Amino acid sequence: MSAPKKPKGGREVEKGVLEKARSFPWGPGLKPLKRRTFLRGAVGGAAIGLALPTLDAMLGPSGAHADGTTAGPIFGVFFWANGLPWHAGMGGETAGVTYPDLWTPTATGAGFAPSELLMPLARHRVSVVTGLEPKTEVPPNPPGQSDGHMRGFMVAMTGDRIRPEGFDHPSHTLTALRPTLDQYVARHAEFYGDQPSRFRSVQIGISEARFHDYGHWNAISYNGPDSLNLPILRPTQLHDQLFSVPDDLVALGRRARMMDAVMDDARALQTQLGARDRARLDEHLTHLSEIQRRLDLAAATCETPARPVDSGDVTAKLDAMSELLAIALRCNLTRVFSLMLTSPATTHVFSNLGVTDGLHKTCHDGLWDRVRVTQAHQMELFARFLDVLAGTTEPTGTTLLDRCAIWGTSEYSEGWKHGTSEMPVVIAGGACGGLRTGVHAREPRGNLCKAQLTLLRSIGLSEASWGWNGGETSDVFGELLG
Amino acid sequence: MHALRTLLRLSLLLTLAGSLACSGSIDGPTGEPRDDDPLDPIDRLPEYAPGGPVLARLTGDQYRNTLVDLLGSPLPAFELEPDTAPYLFFHIGAASTTLSERGAQLYEEAAQKAVEAVLADAARRASVLGCEPTAPGDACLRSVVESFGRRAFRRPLSEAEISRWLDASTEAAEGDAGRATQLLLSAMLQAPSFLYRVEVGEADPANEGRRRYTSHEMAARLSYLLWNTTPDAELLAAADRNELVTDEGVFEHAARLLDDARARRATQQFFAQYLDLRRLDHVERDVARYPGWTETMTRSMRSEIELVVDDLVFRRDADVRELFGAPRTFVNAELAALYGIDAPGASDVAFVPYEFDASSPRAGVLTTGAFLAMNAHPTETSPTLRGKFVRERVLCQTVPPPPDNVNLDLSDPSGTPRTLRERLEQHRRNPECAACHADIDPPGMLFEHFDSVGVWREEEAGGPVDSSGDLDGVPLDDARDLAIVLAEDPRVPACMVKQLFRHASGRLEVASEARALRALTEHFEASGYRFRELLLTLATSEAFRTVAPVEPVGAEVEE
Repeated sequence: MSAPKKPKGGREVEKGVLEKARSFPWGPGLKPLKRRTFLRGAVGGAAIGLALPTLDAMLGPSGAHADGTTAGPIFGVFFWANGLPWHAGMGGETAGVTYPDLWTPTATGAGFAPSELLMPLARHRVSVVTGLEPKTEVPPNPPGQSDGHMRGFMVAMTGDRIRPEGFDHPSHTLTALRPTLDQYVARHAEFYGDQPSRFRSVQIGISEARFHDYGHWNAISYNGPDSLNLPILRPTQLHDQLFSVPDDLVALGRRARMMDAVMDDARALQTQLGARDRARLDEHLTHLSEIQRRLDLAAATCETPARPVDSGDVTAKLDAMSELLAIALRCNLTRVFSLMLTSPATTHVFSNLGVTDGLHKTCHDGLWDRVRVTQAHQMELFARFLDVLAGTTEPTGTTLLDRCAIWGTSEYSEGWKHGTSEMPVVIAGGACGGLRTGVHAREPRGNLCKAQLTLLRSIGLSEASWGWNGGETSDVFGELLG
Repeated sequence: MHALRTLLRLSLLLTLAGSLACSGSIDGPTGEPRDDDPLDPIDRLPEYAPGGPVLARLTGDQYRNTLVDLLGSPLPAFELEPDTAPYLFFHIGAASTTLSERGAQLYEEAAQKAVEAVLADAARRASVLGCEPTAPGDACLRSVVESFGRRAFRRPLSEAEISRWLDASTEAAEGDAGRATQLLLSAMLQAPSFLYRVEVGEADPANEGRRRYTSHEMAARLSYLLWNTTPDAELLAAADRNELVTDEGVFEHAARLLDDARARRATQQFFAQYLDLRRLDHVERDVARYPGWTETMTRSMRSEIELVVDDLVFRRDADVRELFGAPRTFVNAELAALYGIDAPGASDVAFVPYEFDASSPRAGVLTTGAFLAMNAHPTETSPTLRGKFVRERVLCQTVPPPPDNVNLDLSDPSGTPRTLRERLEQHRRNPECAACHADIDPPGMLFEHFDSVGVWREEEAGGPVDSSGDLDGVPLDDARDLAIVLAEDPRVPACMVKQLFRHASGRLEVASEARALRALTEHFEASGYRFRELLLTLATSEAFRTVAPVEPVGAEVEE
């Protein structure tokens, strides 16, 4: 049994960054033995299925290591729809009516006193960054690209603007120019290195209400232009995706080998295609090799929770899916997730709060009091999700939340006028020591991309800059970094 | 009344020549202005040149239909990634969006599951395989690759391909014929050659410089357009004989396909997308507020539209403009109650034909529960949504987005109840809003007698309903007046042609195709606006059979 390998060479990392990375407890790379390697070595290559001992060196993708280091930080996105109740600082004041700011804490720095809307999240010592806004340029054509739902959403999730080409405001057809934060991290060489989890990422959605049924409004995760990762919307589906591994692991290995023929077919087709469709098949090929890798892992999950019962109730669904996700994270089935509580511009009717119309319309009707109640409720649900992560303790004594760096945001700052100044930014978790918790940083008219770069640095990525098309920055909020 | 309506019709036609303040021109996705005013003469349009090829992945419906055609039914339930529908159409989503990793995984699992079920059933196994393999790579499995592969990939496989599939299954099966069969079929059913339709054309020997789709590509194009499934044996055989590059061959098979019940199913798919009916799935209403509302109501509403379409297009092969103007519909018991009509024979499940009389406020699809509920909010109507639907979906006009930072508040600081009409007046007072809302709201106001679920009402906010409005400056009293003018409006069939073309080609039309679209519209008119005839004309048209070359290798990805 050989010692864990050092990370492969070839990935050039700046010296300072490497030193920084070394200071993190998970280290840049413990390579686990593949279970197949063990089987082959143990019984001369004959494929057999048997219960295997969990050797420490094999534990890589399944949790804490014997020496006390963990499997590394977890990156997550928590998204809720329709921003915050508007106030004058967002440009939400009209003649005669002044609405208070229920979001921005009065004091900055560590240990700030939480505002009304941040109160539920205070129990998890989240950090907030206030004052930020998108800085991307807005091309005049096609018209409508400044709409907060679309521009704010894209900048909050990708650091870039909407792709102007093919944008169509009337049919709400839009797409991203680049991967959203979750996918950027999931495919980043410095995040998983050469030991990705079984799933590079998992996308979850809770409310099924949607403003439009056009695909682009039902997902917050993109791999790139016209390449969406639609969320799993039902607890049973999430359960099956994460935990249903057939008993016959050897058969999975055969399916994995047969994927070679499928990939050959894709490559043969590519020669006939133009550049755009070649790129689509390239992406398909990447997916096939991920699926092949997963089939080839031929290992059961570390724990198989009972199959939940589907429910239409948002809170019940959130609870069920949070539990499943927490088990998956603890078993290191993935280290990247996005959770879309409500989709951009949601039509979800929060009838449990006595709100009679969809949230998007409620905002446009100027019903501030109802928006206040609704968004307070969404923050409570955010905190409820964090409860599950904070309540899941790992063998090392830390919690899942201690390992998380969670980007909590919405598509704009307020839904009355689709404003994008004073965007809501919540940063939750300790990122394995990469983040300080409970800090309020404020920069009026600051660049939203600066907070994103801060978060990427907190999980050990060496990005020199972040943001595109006017959003570029190389600054971070140093007070948030551990 | 009749005289008034004739007058309306005349004055409408006169106003058509003028352009709208807000939504006159229709621009393409690239921002190229497109000269397709339906009244412009065809010879002023640019010379026809085909658009480029698209790589369409099978939609969820196409995948399921195709699997049944290849493997028989029933098949075990499986999940697929939901389709996306940019610009309304699944076919555009299938040709432009990229599959996700989970989507690829679901294909892998669906294929495993379906093949396993079929191979476990002796009779179905024999019918799919045609022989019983005894060892991996044997002559039987070779024939399976050849024949099943041809059906699945909609073209014959090359010798190299046959060997590749066969060898891979032999290697992975580790000596077992049954495993080889399972691995082979399930791999072919997740192969890109099966999941994607590669249609790049070939040089047309009769027309130098022009590319036409090959016979096998045409077989798939005809079949997926007209049946929403894979070519049958007859169509594939015609393709093998290279008959689908001639006018006669294409016509013969298109006509044959249109005579089959599967064409009715596929046509419903088009109309559901064109009319954006999926939004019905998300309509929820509070029974306390709308006492007639039921759990099954949106399904009934959708069935009504499907029956109207089937009646118009297939049973009667009638003027499809009746969709917007005719008083004939189909109702079950709950729809009859919603509409306040007496429909003998209607029950929870039984729909009966019903003819609204001339004094009824209802006529055409825009007075059905489906349209009225889909374009309303849970607690109140939305003249803006309804007007926008008329502009964008029925007339194919482009309504620009609201300007930035405009005050969207229609609430009333005084607290006295006001009608929606009064509140919407603010749209007209603010010049920034008025530019577009002056086009959207007035046709939307015509529906104000129908509440948020489509029930007729006399009162709103304590006063009588005023449903007066206009279309392009022609004053109208109500939705019934609108139905009458839309049934004669030349923009309506031109819009239908454009939407069908998008659906059929899996992309937006390009500027050089305007002439082809116009020609289709003229044929459509000449045929008495019979939709079945339009499908046949389109399927046999040059625009459906020719393609621009693939962009040269090494070209930059447009992003």
